[in-house]
Amino acid sequence: MKTARESKLISCHLCHTLSRLPQDTGYTVTKGDKKIKCSCCQSILHSRYPDSISRTWALLIAAFILYIPANTLPIMSVNYWGEIQSDTILSGVMHLLHEGMWPLALLIFIASIFIPIFKLATLFLLLISIQLKLVYRPKDRTTLYRITEFIGRWSMVDVFVIALLVALVQFGSTASIRPELGALSFASVVILTMFAAHTFDPRLIWDVINTNEK
Amino acid sequence: MNRNRLHHNQKNKSSNVRACPDCDLLQSIPLLLPNEFAYCLRCNATLLKNQKNSLNRSLSFAVTGLILFFIANLFPLITLKALSLTQNGTVLSTAWVLFEMDRPLLSLVMLFTTFIFPALTLLGTVYVLLQIKTNRINDYTAPLFRFLHHTHIWGMLEILMLAILVTVVKLGDLAEVIFGVSLYAFCLLILAMTLLDYYLNPHDIWNSIRQYNRESK
Repeated sequence: MKTARESKLISCHLCHTLSRLPQDTGYTVTKGDKKIKCSCCQSILHSRYPDSISRTWALLIAAFILYIPANTLPIMSVNYWGEIQSDTILSGVMHLLHEGMWPLALLIFIASIFIPIFKLATLFLLLISIQLKLVYRPKDRTTLYRITEFIGRWSMVDVFVIALLVALVQFGSTASIRPELGALSFASVVILTMFAAHTFDPRLIWDVINTNEK
Repeated sequence: MNRNRLHHNQKNKSSNVRACPDCDLLQSIPLLLPNEFAYCLRCNATLLKNQKNSLNRSLSFAVTGLILFFIANLFPLITLKALSLTQNGTVLSTAWVLFEMDRPLLSLVMLFTTFIFPALTLLGTVYVLLQIKTNRINDYTAPLFRFLHHTHIWGMLEILMLAILVTVVKLGDLAEVIFGVSLYAFCLLILAMTLLDYYLNPHDIWNSIRQYNRESK
């Protein structure tokens, strides 16, 4: 069995139509100066996503940097009878635990702390494994990538909860909630890691693996 | 099932050759029976699915979703009652309050992920499916469906649903929470959109577009 690239074919990333890969080209697919488009859906064709590794690194590093303010700055401040209390992600989870709402605390912990760390770590390890040209368990690494891609968006739960609380709890000077900068940083981390997962090309995991082995 | 598949294989010599989107392995896919899925031999990615009556089912769920989306945004989702004051919450009011509080970026994130992208997904899907159903595919069908594919993951209504649940539980002790008509519509909307995702078969749609491309040349 052969991969599409070994057979000098490109599969469109969107509609999966196979096209002929022009000769003498590696990753970027051009014919003269023109980019080649899919005959079916008109997407620009590429055998692998262009600059997948460097783009993913850039987005991932940006997410790493924003992850610091996302956790140290308060995500929201509650004004209750003139008394202002600010919460970070972690202190919010602790509050829920103290109030005995442990299922909720667990949910927020998974969505806002576990998933982002898992995602950043997985993409980091996958990128390194590709750059070291590792042949170690490609199937499991692909599965790991699929999990990362799937669960990433669920981190937005916390951002939405803050937005809803802010919109609902507006009782003038008695009780009001304001979103703080941490919420925006956290939303940026989620969005950046979603883009990072999107620009990552899992086919790079398999490129170093000989198709004839199995 | 296996024997059926073999039988099919022998009957249809011209099988469908595809490269796996996740590992690039070329493989030929036998003609699938209804409700059969084809997976990659090497990495287990889903290559192809074949659902009975996929076009009609996905169209009906898309139309249902569109109607429910309209209702879900018309009335308040939840109303908070405390100290004789009430506060209504809709999807759009949430984005608006954030904007008023000088959080324009957060407000834009809310507006796009919970309103604009889901609305475009529903409207666009109904439009594309109707075009295919009535044989009125034109040159803009392919770019539109491509756009829908790219914006799909940014519609986050099901995540908003979970956020609403969390909010209700959080506020339950402090104030009276009243569920609006829209909340019920919203729950059904999530169900309709999930089923739409399940039944929509992009492969069939690209096939129709491919056929149109061939005919118009």
